[in-house]
Amino acid sequence: MASVKLTNVKKVYDNNVVAVHDFNLDIHDKEFVVFVGPSGCGKSTTLRMIAGLEEISGGTVEIDGEVVNDLQPKDRNIAMVFQNYALYPHMTVYDNIAFSLRLQKMPEDQIYEKVTNAADILGITEYLLRKPRALSGGQRQRVAIGRAMVRHSKVFLMDEPLSNLDAKLRNQMRAEIILLRQKLDTTFIYVTHDQTEAMTLADRIVIMKDGYIMQVGTPEECFDMPSNLFVAEFIGAPKMNIMKTQLLRENGKYFVTPFGSKIEVTGEKGKLLQQKNVPAGEVLLGVRPEHMVLADARDAAAIPATLEVNEMMGSELHLHVFTEDGTRLIVRVPTIGLESGERESLVGGKKMAVTFEGKVMHFFDPETEKNLLL
Amino acid sequence: MSNNNTAAIEREKRHMGLKASARISNTIIYILLVVISIIWLIPFVCIVLQSFRMESTGRVGYVIPQVWGLGNYRKLFDPSTNFLRWYLNTFIIALVVAVVQTVIVLCMSYTLSRFRFKMRKPLMQFMLILGMFPGMLAMIILYRVLDDLHLTGQYGNAVPGLILVYVASSGMGYYVSKGFFDTIPKTLDEAARVDGANRAQVLYKIILPLAKPIVIYTILTAFMGPWGDFVFARYVSQVIPQAMNVAVGLQSWLATDTMVHDNYTLFCAGGVVVAVPVAILFMCLQRYYVEGVTGGAVKG
Repeated sequence: MASVKLTNVKKVYDNNVVAVHDFNLDIHDKEFVVFVGPSGCGKSTTLRMIAGLEEISGGTVEIDGEVVNDLQPKDRNIAMVFQNYALYPHMTVYDNIAFSLRLQKMPEDQIYEKVTNAADILGITEYLLRKPRALSGGQRQRVAIGRAMVRHSKVFLMDEPLSNLDAKLRNQMRAEIILLRQKLDTTFIYVTHDQTEAMTLADRIVIMKDGYIMQVGTPEECFDMPSNLFVAEFIGAPKMNIMKTQLLRENGKYFVTPFGSKIEVTGEKGKLLQQKNVPAGEVLLGVRPEHMVLADARDAAAIPATLEVNEMMGSELHLHVFTEDGTRLIVRVPTIGLESGERESLVGGKKMAVTFEGKVMHFFDPETEKNLLL
Repeated sequence: MSNNNTAAIEREKRHMGLKASARISNTIIYILLVVISIIWLIPFVCIVLQSFRMESTGRVGYVIPQVWGLGNYRKLFDPSTNFLRWYLNTFIIALVVAVVQTVIVLCMSYTLSRFRFKMRKPLMQFMLILGMFPGMLAMIILYRVLDDLHLTGQYGNAVPGLILVYVASSGMGYYVSKGFFDTIPKTLDEAARVDGANRAQVLYKIILPLAKPIVIYTILTAFMGPWGDFVFARYVSQVIPQAMNVAVGLQSWLATDTMVHDNYTLFCAGGVVVAVPVAILFMCLQRYYVEGVTGGAVKG
């Protein structure tokens, strides 16, 4: 139940490696913010600086308006869930959850009430007297969440809490975290490398790379208007197709010409190009796999390609194709739209043609890799 | 069919051969172990038996006493000997050293395992190298220092001085416990700190319960050092009867041939009384002791 403000936060390790450069972010009260990025991007380091587990090399971290740079973790009133659960192996589940309350010298009857209440919400009541090693991964993570829950802390920090779980359990726990968030109604900062978790959980996503913030925005903003090439490729799975192409301007209309085709930019994107008065020239064109379609080879908008791999995902196919100059593209094709026999014909080596609509394109500067429409 | 049968018999034979050779090698190993333990136990058995000998007090050419009795033990605890005083001296020293040294070693190990500070590596290397010099090198200067502080036997009481000698540089014995602490995940510390614990509480409530074998191992070794020490104890106590520990005291009973003739069985009784508490302690805690020695060695 507090805001968190990071101003020019920096982390330099002893060996002069800079893990986080000049991190600025305002996290509002009761907001769910997700830090996402590839490993080594500084997201965990930033979280650990907020927690007080990592020294802050520069800048300030404020929790609820108070600068906490020099406060010990125990004095910051935060709760944290770790990737490897970090349960105390020599204590029962009950004692694990009660640990922080006992340190606060809370009376035992109140502790009992809080612990059983939390266990009830998380569905771990029957395991309260067990030791952590007798629990499965999912149960352990619930205990870890329970331990964080009972504290009623100002900020709830989660460091890749689902990464050690198998895929099925991860989906289930993700939904439970959404429910938990509604119950706790507090400020959440969540670190993950999984863009799906970021998209589904976050009010706002902070995308990081090499210690820099690439973009801060709602999941929709990051998906629809990625501020640069990195964000465009990171958010969305499979990743966005990128093609080097010429942007043409003819009679006030914009066209792109990937691999010998010619496609008009229409819709919102076309208007934005006009408004911004983007000059013609070389651009990096981005199209998401789900926006690509199979085409008739005789069409002017068709891009000739050869099928390399066909991944059967159930409700859809992921077709990995390469064009004449070797550029690899991914096409997501819903299986329901395919004619009978067509699915079987899609085997490696098949010559085909793909295309996309005019309103689904993203444009990036080949030099700066920034979004040209922002 | 017959072919099959012969093959099966061959296999069975080979199997039997393996079994037999395993049994033979096991037998040899056990015989060897029994012989070694007998050799190892003989001196102890002799001392125990001698301590019950009543017919004479000197050294004799046989092991089994002709007249059995507890006279030596009675004499041991008689106020006319200083044995009780020595025993008390030793016990106080060993107990204080066990407590203080354990605290120092565990704090040191935790610090070196968990904190990252500038001189950490050089400090560890320095202690490693320093540890290679025998402690005896410092003996003369130690004596001078203790003498200046009036802590040697000449001033009537060597207990505080000896405690100082044993406790000093205890921090250098951090290796085993640091190795064990290193195997405990750091995130446990972090979780506890976020939960509201300070560093001391983390050590006391999380790390030590998880490192029970190492704690017991540390206490045992810290207790054993002063309990059986002779060289420093003799030097610092200056063979002043009131100031000696058991090892020095017992030795003083055998200082000359006539004394050996008068005191040998008494000496044996003293030896038994010194050994019994330690033996009991080890028997109770040996499970942890082994875990401690091996646990610290392997870094997971």
